[in-house]
Amino acid sequence: MSEINLELNKIAKRFGGNQAVDHVSFSVTKPQLIGMIGPNGAGKTTLTNLMSGMLKPSSGTIYLNGLRIDGRAPYHVTRAGLGRTFQITRALNRMTVMENMMVPGLAHEPGARQSDLEDRARQILSMLTIDHLTNEYSRALSGGQRKLLELGRLLMLDPSVIILDEPFAGVHPRLQETIYNYIHRVHEDGKAIIFISHNMGAVFELSQRLIVLNFGALIADGEPQQVKNDPAVIDAYLGHDEDD
Amino acid sequence: MALFKRIQSAIDRGIGRRRLGYLLLGLVVLFFLWFPNDTSQSNYAKTVFISGFFYAILSSSWALLAGIAGQFSFGHMAFMGIGAYVAGLFARDGITFAALGIALSPESISAVGAIIIGTTAAGLVGLVIGWLLLRLRSSYLALFTIAFSELFRIAMLTEYDFTGGSNGLSLRPLLEVADVDTARQIEYYLMFGLLIACLLVMYRVTHSPIGIFLRAMREDEDAASALGVNVVRYKILVFVFTSMIVGLAGAIFYSDVGSERIIPEQLEVLQMSLIIAYACIGGMESLLGAAAGAFISRYLLEAMRQVVITLPFGLTMADGSDAFVWETGAWRFALFGLVMVLTLRYMRNGLLYPIFTWFSGRDLVMKETVAKRKHDEDHAAMLEDQDE
Repeated sequence: MSEINLELNKIAKRFGGNQAVDHVSFSVTKPQLIGMIGPNGAGKTTLTNLMSGMLKPSSGTIYLNGLRIDGRAPYHVTRAGLGRTFQITRALNRMTVMENMMVPGLAHEPGARQSDLEDRARQILSMLTIDHLTNEYSRALSGGQRKLLELGRLLMLDPSVIILDEPFAGVHPRLQETIYNYIHRVHEDGKAIIFISHNMGAVFELSQRLIVLNFGALIADGEPQQVKNDPAVIDAYLGHDEDD
Repeated sequence: MALFKRIQSAIDRGIGRRRLGYLLLGLVVLFFLWFPNDTSQSNYAKTVFISGFFYAILSSSWALLAGIAGQFSFGHMAFMGIGAYVAGLFARDGITFAALGIALSPESISAVGAIIIGTTAAGLVGLVIGWLLLRLRSSYLALFTIAFSELFRIAMLTEYDFTGGSNGLSLRPLLEVADVDTARQIEYYLMFGLLIACLLVMYRVTHSPIGIFLRAMREDEDAASALGVNVVRYKILVFVFTSMIVGLAGAIFYSDVGSERIIPEQLEVLQMSLIIAYACIGGMESLLGAAAGAFISRYLLEAMRQVVITLPFGLTMADGSDAFVWETGAWRFALFGLVMVLTLRYMRNGLLYPIFTWFSGRDLVMKETVAKRKHDEDHAAMLEDQDE
């Protein structure tokens, strides 16, 4: 089981006059399934981009397993043990499914034998039920299959923390089940998973901990049932009466 | 069509497509090795071939840079020019590093030494340009490299006293063979050997992990980076690598191997456009396709300088002849442009792509994949029926 210690200290990101992420702090110290929710524009994806190195924070620090990763290049963060998927799937279109799997495999283990990496890739693709598409160009895959491919690529990196941005969006129910299984299995392997979703059913079914953002600030962090009844969360989702 | 399918299935059952492809490739190489020994061929024909090899190197290395790594650069001819000009200037003037107490007189620099210096200079400029281009993508990258290319050309044109301006610069001859026929033959093999060496090195790179990273970078830089690929390193690497290849090719070609002097006209954007066109026609994502595209295009453009048209149905010209000679002039380039337009419209992967795909057996793998999927769908339908 990989060591997990992700720590965000007062992370902030400002785009001009817009405070996209407002001094957010939280830490992940064990293999947990963490749901991250919030209304549109709450700063979920921006926070993901800050954690994965796609954006540099305006202030604050992020540590992963004792290594400071804020402002580091994405490939550096990935090699430090944090993997992510994208809200809009980013398959490498003019490369086959196997080649898509080999990119993280070769980047993560430069000295590994290609045949060993291919064997591992086949096992992962089989688990994700897309092994029959191994030699297909990824542009030929359906939206759901591309999501599965993204999830498979993450496993080639063997990260300790995985961030899934909207893993269920636009996916056929049958494939959603495969993604559910994936999340459970990866979690059992001892990895921490932070997943962003607007699918409340999935969020409450899967999460052991829930983080809620609104207007870039963290407004709740705790067990799902406790967070569900939090007045600040209810207010963020349902709004409040002007007279109150 | 039925005959083609029968031949195809016979090949699949027999030698196999891939092996047949290698066999044909071997025959092509043998032809090129034999060609200069054919006494019926003139030195002019060999010169056309030498030029074809040179452009094949330029085109295939551009295919690596733009088609495989996704860096759509217009600066390729400028890097070729840097290799040639630096080699020429060093061989002519020597160099003095006063601070280090190093002074190299022109006499102490051999033609090979000058070529090495020129190649290194092209690589160093490639390093700087690659670094400057880190944050530029697609059209911005193209515009930047056009500006860089023009800047270099104008500098070479304007610094008349130093570079020879529009008259060009002569490089130290690489070979000093008195007999013209023998010299042509050696030059032919030298350029052909250089082409084969460059293709082999580039093939090795594209079929290594670096090749996979370059293609990932081409598809989506952010996604590649998120998958652990050091995009900055590979972007600079591919610029340095391809710059050195064309720098080397330029320095050798203009060392009186293919041409006796480098002129700024060779660095014009139009020349660069031709390199791009050769690669597009042959296949931008294939080194061999781009090289073949360049060689065949160069050969045909040369062969079409004069076209003899024989009149049909016993018709004759006013002077009684039954044929007339058409001096094609710029029209051959117009025709070439038409081929380029049609290729981009109907066969974006290049005219040779279907041939390479067929020989590689890629279409068989795809068919197998589709068949498996069909099988899966049938299996899923059967399970659903059982559930009902």
